[in-house]
Order: sequence, then C-alpha cells, then structure tokens
Amino acid sequence: MARDLPGFLDHLRRHYPALLAEVERQVNPERFEVTALLEQLQRGRQFPTVLFKSTTNLRGQPCEFSIVSNVFATREHCAAALGLPPEQAGMALSLHYSELERRTIPPEVVGRSQAPVKECVRLGEAADAAELPIVRHYEMDLGPVLTMAHVIKAPDEDFYDVTFCKTFYKHDPRRMAISIHSPHFERLLAAYERRDEPIPVVNVLGHHPAFYLGALALAPWGNNDYATIGSFLGEPLRLVPSETWGDRFLVPADAEIVIEGEIPPGERVVVDPFGEITRLYQAQCLRQVFNVKAITFRRGAIMQDVFSGNQGHWNLGGIPKEGSIYNALQRRFGTIRAVHLPYSGCSRLACYVSIDKSREGQAKEIGLVALTETWTVQTVVVVDADIDVFNEQDVLWAIHTYVDPSRDIDLVKNVGTTVFTTAMQRSKVIVDATRPSHVAFPERFKVPDEALARVTLEEWLPQFARPAVPRPAEPPRPLPR
Amino acid sequence: MDRIFWVRCPHCAGRFFCDYELRHAGLKLECPFCQRQFLPDESPELDERWFR
Repeated sequence: MARDLPGFLDHLRRHYPALLAEVERQVNPERFEVTALLEQLQRGRQFPTVLFKSTTNLRGQPCEFSIVSNVFATREHCAAALGLPPEQAGMALSLHYSELERRTIPPEVVGRSQAPVKECVRLGEAADAAELPIVRHYEMDLGPVLTMAHVIKAPDEDFYDVTFCKTFYKHDPRRMAISIHSPHFERLLAAYERRDEPIPVVNVLGHHPAFYLGALALAPWGNNDYATIGSFLGEPLRLVPSETWGDRFLVPADAEIVIEGEIPPGERVVVDPFGEITRLYQAQCLRQVFNVKAITFRRGAIMQDVFSGNQGHWNLGGIPKEGSIYNALQRRFGTIRAVHLPYSGCSRLACYVSIDKSREGQAKEIGLVALTETWTVQTVVVVDADIDVFNEQDVLWAIHTYVDPSRDIDLVKNVGTTVFTTAMQRSKVIVDATRPSHVAFPERFKVPDEALARVTLEEWLPQFARPAVPRPAEPPRPLPR
Repeated sequence: MDRIFWVRCPHCAGRFFCDYELRHAGLKLECPFCQRQFLPDESPELDERWFR
C-alpha cells in the first residue's frame, strides 16, 4: 500500500502514541480554535501532532474534513516520517536527509480508479474552497490561509517543482491568492508571464510527511521534485492525471485534497498580514491570483496545516539546511562535528557549528563559509567539539565564557538579501566561541570518564536513568564525494 | 528587510502594516480586522518611520 497521511497517523498511534493527540470536539478553524489549542500546547512545551476530527468549513457549517497540524513539530516526528528511530533525531537525521535529497526514484502513473484523491471530484461552480476547514492562524492575519505545498510544471520542460507557498482565502471561494516567493517558482512565474499564459498550479493539502520533507530538498533548477520526493517516501510517488489538464499535469494520487487552479498572468491582489516564520507578521503586499478550477479529495480527507512560526514550521526548513551546510563545510574543512539551526533563530536565522579546532582563525573562516551556504542565516556561532550544538545552554555558555567581543565577534555589513523581517536587515554576524588557544586560558572542568563509566545511574539510581544522549555531538559519518 | 509603514483603518480603527510598495501605488489596502478597503492617505494615522 502506498505511503500516505492516514498511514503515517496510524504509525504514530501504534508506535509513538505520545506523539499524537486527537480532538473529538468540533473546532471552527476560522475562529482561531485550532491555533488556540496549539498555542497552549506550545506554551506548555508539548508538541504532539494534533488531529482535529470534527471541523467546520468557512461558512461555519460542519464539514466532512478533519484537520491535522504539528505533523513536523518535533525532530522525532520528522525522524519517524523518514523511518529513523527517535534517538537519531539529531545530526543523524540531518545527514540522513542530505543523503535522501541526492537520490531520486521516478514516479509512477496510476489510473483514476486507483487514486484515493479522485474519490470525490468537484468541478466548475462546485469547486468551492469555502467548503474546506481553512485555518485562520493569528489575530492580525488577513484571513484563513492554506499553508501546504504547491506544484508548478515548467512550461516547456518536463519537470515539476514542489514548493511551500501560502494560499489566501479572499471572500470568493473560486478566486484566492497565492504568495509566491521561492526562486524557482518566481522563475516559473516569469516564464509563463512572458508567454502571457495562465500558470497551472496545484495545492496539495495533505500527504505523507515524507512528501513534504522531500519537497524541501535543496534541488537545482530543472530537478523533477516528484522523483526526489520518491526518494524520501522510499517508493515511487504515485501520480494521476489532473482534472483540468489531464496527462499534461499529473497530481499526487495519494494526497488527501488537491486544489487545481490557474494563476492569471500579471494580475495581483492584496494579501497579508500573516504570522510568519520569524513570529512576526508579514506586511500587507501584492501577490498573484489563484483561480480555482477543481477540487478533488478522498472521502473523509484530512486537511494538513502548518502552525506557522512554530517548531513544525522551523523543522521543515532547518533539517534540510543542517545537512547541506554540514556537507559543504565538511568537504572543505574536514573538521566539522555538527551543525544546528536552533529554534531560537527560527531554524533559519542562526547557525551553530561545532569543530575540532586546531588553530586560531579557523572558526572565523568556517563561519564565513557557513554564511554563504544558506542565505537565511544571519548569525553563525562556531564552538568547540565538546559543545553540543543541539543544547543551546551549552552554546550560550561557550559564548559567555570564551568570547572576547572586540576580537571574536565580526559584523559583515550590507550583504545578502532581506527576505525575513528582522532588525539586522542586511547585516551578518560571526561569533567565534571556541576556547582561546593563543593565550594561557583555563580549561573546562570535567568528572573523569572512568568514574562516569564506573558509577552509573542505571545501577545506582535507576528511577532517574534516561536513554543516553550523545555528548558531544554524534560522530560525523564519512561523506560521499 | 523591505520598508514597511503602519496604518489605522478609518472604518474600525484597527492598526496593521504594509509593504512600502503600497504607500503610493494608488491601490486600496484591506483591513484584516473588518475586511474593508481604503487608500493609505485615508488612514487617520500613518507611521512611516524607518531605519536610517
């Protein structure tokens, strides 16, 4: 059986019940009832995937769809999605991700009768987005927003690009707005607009989480993302002809809900504010129109949503970037122990790198290269190998203890782009938080390893024993060249 | 970061902010609190301060 979202939720129920919560009471997602619960869980540092089994649509009427959110809310969820045990949710997960993104498995095309997403088909006037339980997330949001991935096919080339974009519901169930801001989608948009042709686009509202993790692979232009997603699923992604374009545009057969639409060339409407990844609202601006052509779905479909600006949203970008930054730095320097994009930097703005330091100046050099590997990072902190980059208290200890601000903090001005709204604007910072080796400097204390091995919690205080946490960071794997 | 400006909705007094490309574009803004539309210059309060 093909991998899909209901199958993943069953997997959590059976193997990781603590990672799943199910809400029986009816929620009205437009009245912030989904995000109110998620926010309170987040405040209590609890991050289960939450399945809202009973929902209302945008007319406030009970509807047949459920909603699932927080699917990526912890690294353990993401590990489970990619077939790794929870104890490998640290650097091992990021490295596994970077291996998967280098492989492809070609998709396979199936007939409509084999495609769950074709169980219910709504065309023309019946393709009514207001029938969906679309979530309104934050107080100042312009309205309900769909937060999952879209697919666009290149006009003259045979590849599909899959990218996360927001779709704004704007009072009209057949005319929404889409906020395109990824480099590949912008390039595709420009290619269609030069031809003055409407752009076919598909919004995939629910699939196995490996589908979405694969969609985030840092693939080059021209990559068929459907084949990369196959690598993450571990099997061919099953595709089926769309209702609107037939064989010329294939859509995921095992999706929960698919909205087929067209972006008319040159037309723009006002969208935003929307509570974005940095936990700030995105300013109101002009974006493209999304004309709804068809909506297809499974019976009892689960509509997936991302609780934006929270851990699930951060993991979606952070895990792919950690693997790629690690590989790039390790190829060049060979001294990298681990890379982490912490939640405190929304897994986009800050990057912690641990290294086997052998000389002064090395950390700064590595920091400079890390900055160029991903345009979202504003601050790089480089620490020694005995600092666990996944433990922020450890990293901050190194900063407060080892950093001489006049020597170890460098500001790079007027560099890069400014997609995220932060007061740093076009500035970047490198912090060398490694132990100074150019002067006589104290050493960090430690309990002898021999004693730690001899006197164990498991034997002496078993009620306090927990699974061993790798410390320092897990040893790096050999890199394929 | 792109420059922004804050407005106050003349209909419901809700405050929100916009990308500066909308300041003089002659296009109506849409209030996220009451969904009504208005031009930036119709706002009773504009905050256009920005980093120097």
